[in-house]
Amino acid sequence: MIPSDPEALDALAAEHVLGTLDAREAAEVARALPVNPALREAVAHWEARLAPLSDLARPEPPPAALWDRIEVSLADRAMPAPVRPIRVAPLWKAWAVGSTALAAGLAAFMLLRPAEPPRMMTVLLTSRDQPAWVVETEGGGLRLASLNPRPVESGRVQQLWALPPGATAPISLGLVPESGQVSVAPGLVRPEPGMLIEITLEPPGGSPIGRPTGPILFIGNLTPARSS
Amino acid sequence: MPDSHAAPDPAELIRAVAAGETGALRRLYDAQGSRLFGIALAILRDRDAAADALHDAVLKVAARAAQFDPARGEGAAWLGAIARNVALDLARARGRETLSDDPALGDAAVAPEALDRLAAAQQHGRLRDCLASLEARNRESILLAFVHGLSHAQIAARLELPLGTVKAWIRRGLLRLKGCLA
Repeated sequence: MIPSDPEALDALAAEHVLGTLDAREAAEVARALPVNPALREAVAHWEARLAPLSDLARPEPPPAALWDRIEVSLADRAMPAPVRPIRVAPLWKAWAVGSTALAAGLAAFMLLRPAEPPRMMTVLLTSRDQPAWVVETEGGGLRLASLNPRPVESGRVQQLWALPPGATAPISLGLVPESGQVSVAPGLVRPEPGMLIEITLEPPGGSPIGRPTGPILFIGNLTPARSS
Repeated sequence: MPDSHAAPDPAELIRAVAAGETGALRRLYDAQGSRLFGIALAILRDRDAAADALHDAVLKVAARAAQFDPARGEGAAWLGAIARNVALDLARARGRETLSDDPALGDAAVAPEALDRLAAAQQHGRLRDCLASLEARNRESILLAFVHGLSHAQIAARLELPLGTVKAWIRRGLLRLKGCLA
């Protein structure tokens, strides 16, 4: 439970930065950080206060082989999401002779099963690079949550857009409700890595021409989420 | 000690990583790797575990570089916090909470001269003065937690004090520090 009382919140932030929270508490804070601006602010202050203490740790050259390992991991991450392993090998072995057609049919069936879409996310930033919205893929669509809901300029609305990589014109995903929460159905959008997500300021009812007409308020780039 | 005039500015390196510049991450690793490995090693006191921590921290830096905001703090502090948090998570996963003490820690950590190293960087003199104004065991608890990643229980065992006392002290010490630095 993240406290709302400012003093208790600050004490929690301090112990989080100090490192004395246990695993469960630390995980709770880590989960709350992207969606709790007050907590984020308090943690940032404590990081700034205590950061010089890390100079008390004596610098030590890392093991020589470590960089190679990091490069391998970076390359792994850059590759497209691996195809999920399909367990047909034992079947092939068991039916070494005979039922080839059946097995092939079964394999084809398994290959055709849609793979779970990879999780992607991004944080939409303001023109001053302040985080404003968290965007996550959800059941083949998208879900957005405002980090810091603020009133929209009166007489205007916010409109959500997606620009797939390589495309020249963004697709409208609808208007952004005041609640600061948006769900985009899978039919409207097919999230993919590199897709730009942006929110623009538009006249009431949204852009009349199907393309953004107002300034970009928030923008971000979908990237695969780490599974860890 | 690296010459601060010649050393590349961490914030600049992070920006280059965010921009996807070729070789930027390697330059950042070369410039900051020893400092970050030192931070992880002080917490984990095991070279293999510290290497795992630095590995994960560098991947996190690569993934999050675009989120670094120079207006909100120094690059070195941002990198240090990532390395610390990865190392702390690893320490927790390795059962930090159940350890009562760690002979590998030694005494050097909280020696008074460690604090003098803080003052070497001039802008840190204030933090040193504030720490110096705390009661010795208050200060020691805070340093053991921050620099060495010790849990409340480990600090209590090391200082031979009841757990509740240590928790209250740390809390009070942090409040004093906040007031002093304000």
